Formats: sequence, structure tokens, C-alpha cells
Amino acid sequence: MNYTETENKIPLIAIAGQPNSGKTTLFNLLSGRNSKTVNYPGSTVEYSVAPLLPKFSLKAKVIDSPGIISLVPSSIDEKISIDTLYSHPELGKPDVIIVTVDASQLSRHLFIALQLIESKFKIVVVLTMTDLLLKKNFNISAKKLSETLKCDVVKLDNRTGNGVNEIVKSVNKILVSSHNVSEVHFHSHPSFDKDDLLLNSYDAIGQIEKDVLYKVQSQLSETELLKANEKLVVLNSEPAFLKPDELTLKLDRIFLHKFWGLIIFFIVMFILFSSIFYVAAPIMDLVSEGISLLSGYTVTLLGDTWYGNLISQGVINGVGSVLVFLPQILILFLLLGLFEDSGYLARGAMLIDKPLSLIGLNGRSFVPMLSGFACAIPAIMATRTIPNRRERLLTIFIIPLMSCSARLPVYALLIAFLIPADKPVLGGLVLTFIYVISVFSSVLIASIIHKIVSKYSRRKDSSFILELPAYRKPKLSNVIRNSYRNARHYIVKAGPVILMLSLLIWVLTYFPNTEPQVDETGKTADEIILLKNSERVATSFAADLGKMIEPVMKPLGLDWRVGVSLIAAFAAREVFVSSLALIFKVTDDGDLQNSILSSMRNATFRDSDQKVFTISSTAGLIVFFVFALQCISTLAISRKETGSWKVPMVQLFVFTLLAYIAALITVTGFRFFGMA
Amino acid sequence: MKTAADLKVNETAIIKRIDRSHPSYRRLLEIGFTPGQEITLLNRTLFNDPISFSIRGTIFAIRKEEASHIFI
Repeated sequence: MNYTETENKIPLIAIAGQPNSGKTTLFNLLSGRNSKTVNYPGSTVEYSVAPLLPKFSLKAKVIDSPGIISLVPSSIDEKISIDTLYSHPELGKPDVIIVTVDASQLSRHLFIALQLIESKFKIVVVLTMTDLLLKKNFNISAKKLSETLKCDVVKLDNRTGNGVNEIVKSVNKILVSSHNVSEVHFHSHPSFDKDDLLLNSYDAIGQIEKDVLYKVQSQLSETELLKANEKLVVLNSEPAFLKPDELTLKLDRIFLHKFWGLIIFFIVMFILFSSIFYVAAPIMDLVSEGISLLSGYTVTLLGDTWYGNLISQGVINGVGSVLVFLPQILILFLLLGLFEDSGYLARGAMLIDKPLSLIGLNGRSFVPMLSGFACAIPAIMATRTIPNRRERLLTIFIIPLMSCSARLPVYALLIAFLIPADKPVLGGLVLTFIYVISVFSSVLIASIIHKIVSKYSRRKDSSFILELPAYRKPKLSNVIRNSYRNARHYIVKAGPVILMLSLLIWVLTYFPNTEPQVDETGKTADEIILLKNSERVATSFAADLGKMIEPVMKPLGLDWRVGVSLIAAFAAREVFVSSLALIFKVTDDGDLQNSILSSMRNATFRDSDQKVFTISSTAGLIVFFVFALQCISTLAISRKETGSWKVPMVQLFVFTLLAYIAALITVTGFRFFGMA
Repeated sequence: MKTAADLKVNETAIIKRIDRSHPSYRRLLEIGFTPGQEITLLNRTLFNDPISFSIRGTIFAIRKEEASHIFI
């Protein structure tokens, strides 16, 4: 008999368990592909929800919750994961909880199962990683464990999925039996926070472990072992004492080696970084080219009208600025998934934790910060692997200071202005210096915030307790699914904000003078369009804004036209170059950079023949770009990952102010030394 | 008193108690660092911090500061 839905209530099955206990593998086996990600209201904690696959002929929803160590939370995020188990505001409380228990780490993983039983949840225990247990020459009796815990216990083969039908059967049994029973009452606040109880439950677990684990001989093959030793229970001889996986211990001697460990770490990080930097680049170019082709085609189709431009410049380019980050996000999450799944990422975090802990960060902050040098968007998304909320927020905060690849075209132009083309080494030196300032300032700012926060905060919760899971072959399907989920999530959650903000910038640079009058005599159609575009920007709202902020730009030795380009560059930093070209009426005659450069050399202020771009003002502009958060996509993703506009607004304010002050100091310094 | 942070690589000891006043006290118990349990120091890295231990069949990396509150 199957449980049938009544009163429109579809039963809810929650999967709970310690981190790395095989929850997601089980979730994928139960739900297939069509899961969606949901947030706990008002938080950034996410989990997947999906209907059970039709083949199980049981109508139910499954949710996969983040790993929890105990029902007593030790962080805000953990509290939310636990609250979800008790009752999710939208999904209700789960009817059954499936607890995944890593059989090769039985005692630690039984801990949460016991807490759930004591809270009067209906649970099914799923034993995972039994292959690892066999490797350690132990086996486990599911029957005995089931008798002791008084709930169904099922062994699941992670690779083949054997056992998943039994799990569904057990779930169904509970649903049927509890169907007619009145409301199940949970202890909403279990008294687990007493230390003695905690120690007692570990004593009880120790006893259970002795009863259900038994030693097997290692010479036989796995299937033979299973058959021959199912009855051969060794009791009393010696307590079952689990040791970590032998291969893992050997590999750790290399990967965590004082010298080689760090070398390998840097090689791995180099591969990761160059993939998001160089491998993603051609794909990103392809996306950009596709978008600009489409955009150009739309203008030809709809004509140079305001709606034609709305579709081509506003909407299509806006969608483009969402899509252009996808290659990097996919590549980063694919590699991160592979390194995480294989067990290496935790080691990397351990290797680099010490120096980062000094500035209030965590070993897990390294990968996101490094990724920030390619692009802040995937980097901020990657901070999800940092368990401690404060350390995660601090990492997100400083990521925009990492010199991302979108700044390169700007630096290239400005350095080309400063340094003669026959001195490439000097140009290289300046670029290196920019990266050094970027690293140095982020370290400085992180440590200042860390100092302030630790001075005023009562709770000292910076801890680094990290499980180093056994090395294993990554499961590619899980990794791919996870990157796909992240990418989709980015498009759904951050995409609309990025699109709206790009549209806003388009409005600012397009209106109100939509039909500018230009002298058309003796000019080709393309030249006329270019002139019109240029005139339109020069008379746009953005230009008004640019003129409004001119008093602020003056001390930096810059005029309103640079101000407009800075405003336009909020869409993406590299837009600064094209926007500068537009406003200085530069025609692209094959060598855009040189054309802009000569326009820049000739540009003078409105009311005098004083040059705008000098050594000092250009150097100041470079410094401005080092610090300024000139990127709406970063703001959008920061809002998504921190759960509110608070952090991105503080970032915008602090980094803009910092950029301005630093640029001002640079300009004044250069002038002081006679390099106006 | 000797603590887990004083162990040499591959040295094994039994946990006597954990400093109750330490913020991570509870979490350490919850992940299985309970009195009477055997722990082995597995690896020290270049910075000598964090340190990895084997306990109950699992490997954990914890900061030296935390390890120095686990008495053996």
C-alpha cells in the first residue's frame, strides 16, 4: 500500500546529515534533474527541493539541507539549516527525515542521528561509504543497528545507487503508519546543550559501534567478504577502532608536506586561475561578439530610433553583460567541484589558513580571492564554501579590490598614454606595481576591518575546524550538476538586477536628446551615426551628471567628459575605453587605441587650453581604477550573496571614497615632484 | 599540562579533558573529541598551524590555538 496525498498535503522528506556524508548523492538519486534551489526566507542559506522521481511511485517532495554537525547550532547559517528541519516557513515540517551516516566514520555520524531520534523525528538511517569501511577491514550489520535505533537502516551503494528502492520503501512505511496518527509533536528545543548529555550520547554511541561493527579478513574480494563474513561477527575480541583510510594518510604526507605541499598547492591554484583567466577568455569573446552582432542586427532592423536603441543598446547589451560572466562561473565551479569532491580543497584551505587568519580571513578565503583577479562575480559566488559568516562577509568585502581582468583594457590604454611604446618593460613594471597595490591594499583593509570588528564584538568565533575527507575519485555527474545549478542560480537571482542597472545606465547615456542635430554634409552614413551617438552622450543625463561632478573631478585634473565615462563604466569597467572614444568623438580607423590616445593628448578643458590628460591626472586615473568599485554586476552579486543591499552599498561608498582620496594623493604627489 | 598541540607527528594520546571556557569547546565535543578518545597527530604544515589529527576514523584540521586547549 502506498501513502496517498490527502488535503493537498504532499509529504515532505528531508535529507539531513553531517557534511560529506553523501546527502547530495542520495538527493540526486531520489530526485533526478529537475530540482530547484530555494532560500530560507531572509537568508542566504540555500537548499534544493525536488519531487521524488516517478519511478518510485510515491508522491513526495525531497529537500536537501546543508550539512549539520549537531542540532545545537554554532553559527547563524547552521541555525537556519536546523530550523528548516523543525519547520520550514513555506514547505512546512518534514514528515520523514532521511539521515545519511558515513559508515566509515560511524560514531561521529551517528551523533546527529541520535539527536534526531531523541527529538522524536521519524527517521530512516542510510549508511553510506560502506565500500570505504570494507577497505578498513570492517563491515557493519544494518540489521543490528536497526534493532538498536528502532528505525529502518538501509545500506546505500554510492556508485551504483543500490539500496535507493529500499530507502523509499522505508519512507513509505513511515508515511503510511503515521498517516492516521494525530500531529507528531517535536521537542522544539531539545536539551542537547548540556555537556553531560552530550558525553553520555557519545558513550552510548561507543556501545552501539561495538555492537554493529565487525572485523573482516582483508585477503578476500569485496563480494566474497560480504558473503563469507555476514555471519562471522567478531564480538568482544577487540573494540572496533576505526582508523582513517590508509591511502589518504599516505597522500596527505605529500599534499600536506612542509615544502612539497605548498609547491603542489601553488601549481593547483595556478591551474585554477589560468583556467578562469585564459580558458574562459575566448568563450567570453565569443559571447560578446555574438551579442554585438545581434545588437547591430537589431539596429539595422529597427533603425536608429529610441526603441531600436533600447532593444539593441539597452536590452541586448544588458543581457550580454549578464551572460558574459557565465563561462567563468561554469569553469570556476567545475574545477572547484572537482577539487572539493576529490578531497583536495580542504587540504589547500589548511595549508594557507595561517597567514589568512592573521587578517581575519580563513583558509577557505584563498580560492575566492584568487578568482577575484579574473572576475569578482564568480569569486564572490565561491565564498559560499567559507562556513564562518563573518569571514565570508569580510572576504566578499575585499574581493572588489582584486584587480580583475575587466580593468586590463583600461590600464592598457592609460599606461600606453603614460609610457612611450618603445619602453614596454617600464609599462610592464607599472602593471606589476598595480597588482602589488591591489594585493597590499586588500590585506590592509581586511586587517583594519578585522581589528575594528574584534575590538567591538563580544563573541570570538573565529575557529577553523575542518574535516579533511578521504581522497576519492570525484563524481563528475555531481560536479557538473552543481556547476549548472550555480550558473542557473546566478542568472535567475543576479541576472535581473544586472539587467535593470544596465538599462538605467543606458537611459542615462541616451536621454533626453534622442535625436541630436549634426552637420551631415559630406559624411557617410556610418560617420553620421557615430557623430549622433557622440552628440547624444555629450548632451545626455550622464553628461549633466558628469558636469555636476566636475568640481569633484577638477582636483584630479580631469573634466566632465572623463566623469561621464566613469559613470558609463559602471556597466562594466572596460566600457570606460569605448565611452571615452565616444565622447571624444574618436573615429575607429583601424587602430582605436592610437586614435583615442591622440585625442587624449589634444583634449583641453572647456574654458582654457590647459590639457586634461597629463602624467599626473592619468596616473591618478589609474589609481582610481585600482580601488573604485566600478561594476554594477559586482554590486548585484554582492547583494545576492549577502542577502541585502547593505554590504554592496557600504562597498560602493568606501571604495569610491578610497579611490578618490588615493587618486587625489597621487595627482598632488606627481605635481609636487614637478610632473604635472 | 600537555596538550594536543604538543604532540609530535604520528604520536598518539588519549584525551583527558577539553578546556570548558574555550569558545570551541562544544563543537570539539560534538565532532567527537571526547575525553577517553584516542587521537593521533598526523600532519604539521609549513606554518605549523593548523594541525591535522585523526580521531574516530576521521581526519580533522584544527588551529593550534584550539589544539592547545585539548589536554592529553
